[in-house]
Amino acid sequence: MISVGIDSGSATTKAVLVIDGRIAANNIRPTGFDFLSAAKNGYEDALTNAGIDKKDVNGIYATGYGRNSIKFADKAVSEITAHTMGVYHLYPAVNGIIDIGGQDSKIISVSDGKVTDFLMNDKCAAGTGKFLEYTAKALEVPIEELGSLALVSKEPASITSMCTVFAESEVISLRARGFKKEDIAAGLIESIARRVAVMVRQVGLKQNVAFVGGVAKNAGIKVFLEKELNISLYVPPEPQITGALGAALYGVSKKVK
Amino acid sequence: MTHFEATCFETLDYIKNSYSARICQLEEEKKAGKKIVGTLCLFVPDEIIFAAGADRVILCGGKNDAVSIAEQYLPRNICPLIKSSFGSIVNNGYSGVKSCSHFGLVDMVVAENTCDSKKKTYELMGDYVPTYVLDLPQKPEGPAAVKYFLEELNKFKGIMEELTGNKVTVEQLKKEIISSNETRKLLHRLYDLRKREYPPISGLDMIKVMQKQYVLSAEDFKEALRTLINEAEQTRADSIAGSKDEFTHRPRIMISGCPMPGGSTKVPEIIENRGGLIVVEESCTGTRSFWDLVDENKDPMTALAERYIKIPCSCMTPNDRRIDNILELAREFKVDGVVNYTLQFCHGYNIERYKVQQALKNAGIPVLSIETDYSDSDVEQIGLRVDAFMEMLS
Ligand code: SF4
Ligand code: SF4
Repeated sequence: MISVGIDSGSATTKAVLVIDGRIAANNIRPTGFDFLSAAKNGYEDALTNAGIDKKDVNGIYATGYGRNSIKFADKAVSEITAHTMGVYHLYPAVNGIIDIGGQDSKIISVSDGKVTDFLMNDKCAAGTGKFLEYTAKALEVPIEELGSLALVSKEPASITSMCTVFAESEVISLRARGFKKEDIAAGLIESIARRVAVMVRQVGLKQNVAFVGGVAKNAGIKVFLEKELNISLYVPPEPQITGALGAALYGVSKKVK
Repeated sequence: MTHFEATCFETLDYIKNSYSARICQLEEEKKAGKKIVGTLCLFVPDEIIFAAGADRVILCGGKNDAVSIAEQYLPRNICPLIKSSFGSIVNNGYSGVKSCSHFGLVDMVVAENTCDSKKKTYELMGDYVPTYVLDLPQKPEGPAAVKYFLEELNKFKGIMEELTGNKVTVEQLKKEIISSNETRKLLHRLYDLRKREYPPISGLDMIKVMQKQYVLSAEDFKEALRTLINEAEQTRADSIAGSKDEFTHRPRIMISGCPMPGGSTKVPEIIENRGGLIVVEESCTGTRSFWDLVDENKDPMTALAERYIKIPCSCMTPNDRRIDNILELAREFKVDGVVNYTLQFCHGYNIERYKVQQALKNAGIPVLSIETDYSDSDVEQIGLRVDAFMEMLS
């Protein structure tokens, strides 16, 4: 059984090729303006990497923000279900998932691989990848370095604004007041961790929690989030692809074609 | 997901197309000297208005277009329902903005002290249309509340007599109570049909029917309900869209929360287009409007006070009655999940969400909370949550 999952996210498009329940190839690329061609190219690259011919693929399953516009997919599934299936495959003991993506953060409560409850941030970038992206820019630090920079801070600055736009001006004023870069970075990450932690407590996640999504690649966030929640989080080696993986597995489980 | 194609009863078309006919009717009534009263909330008893020989239209607004007009006067962060109503009243059908024409036809608005946003807005509304505010005790339990509300209703009766020049008699009140109870009973019958495994009417259609209550005259609404029930009862229990294979797995959903006045059907549309089937609405545009009858054997004013003060609105404290009602409805209508629907900046229902969620969780009923306004900007986000909720339920 060869199945492909495509996670068409607002920032990046992920494709995962699964052969008999095993990841054979994956591809991550920026989504850009054209959802469809990003999905198509990601799909084709994954096939080439695995040396699989298109005609041997049994099913293509889409998830993510652009899931309904991926016309060549056989079926679409929500990110909530997809991430849950993907994460459950990697860590069968999970009870909860924190997924922080480009535009959304999702908290999912899981029991035996099934979603039992979930919460998403509302129409607002607070607590998402976008928040980090904008504030990192104001700090003039590449987003990839924000986390490691934050980890060297001894005295995180306090960022009080939840709103991305206002947090950006807060960063600028902290800079003007002579705060150290690492302390501002730590303040930013602390603020996102606090925000996410509120949601985690609302859903009631306590242990065996996985952290996935693009933002999970940022080691600093994981550390701050763990401190805030007082638990240790599972982060898969490639936390960005669990949605695409789950979509591919969804196809296998439903045998939908 | 295929679109929900439920029933197509003739009455449904009639109800949906009744809007302009009603405007002509109101204009005729006005010419004949009848007074038209606008209301914005369930707490104002229709029976008293009708007994005084006036007609009433419900002015709760659901259209997004009038919101920006209101924002010239009102803070942005109050609920869209109030902004839409106020915008329509201020606009009075003049500018090119789409708003309900009924707003320009009323002789008086009878408002009520419920949530803060409403009562403060009513103070501004008086500049545009004569506005009378009915006071409500905020702690509805116990005889003192009924006594206070009864006094308020008596004052209100006096206002109606003054407006119309007609005396409100006990006989007339009794007649109106019986008549309004009939409407309530008809709605109960219609809702009973939705308890079936294959309800003959979709939630979206039902909500549109409930919204028409806002504009149809009481008599026309009743007549429409009667024919609708006849048509619906005659359909074979399994001959509806429900018998189609893809339909059989639709999770049964209850919507609970803020009113959905005419013009706002965004969330029910999303739910039913993405695989759900709404079987009951715990809402002012749903059960809250008709669930309890007025006691026909008591002194009519007391009976009215007792019935109306019991409406489980989040303006009241405590409001445990609503929680009990939600659990009872969930059982009766065999719902698989509840969508807790609230309007942005409606603090009452938004705060009450926590209690609702806890109660449902304890009862083992999954719940999805959606907070939204009348704009279309969040259709995709809501769609994603609803998709995930449906996947979770099936
Ligand atoms: S929610 Fe409360 S205040 Fe608003 S219309 Fe309903 S009963 Fe009235
Ligand atoms: S109770 Fe809520 S929805 Fe009703 S008018 Fe007040 S704020 Fe708006």
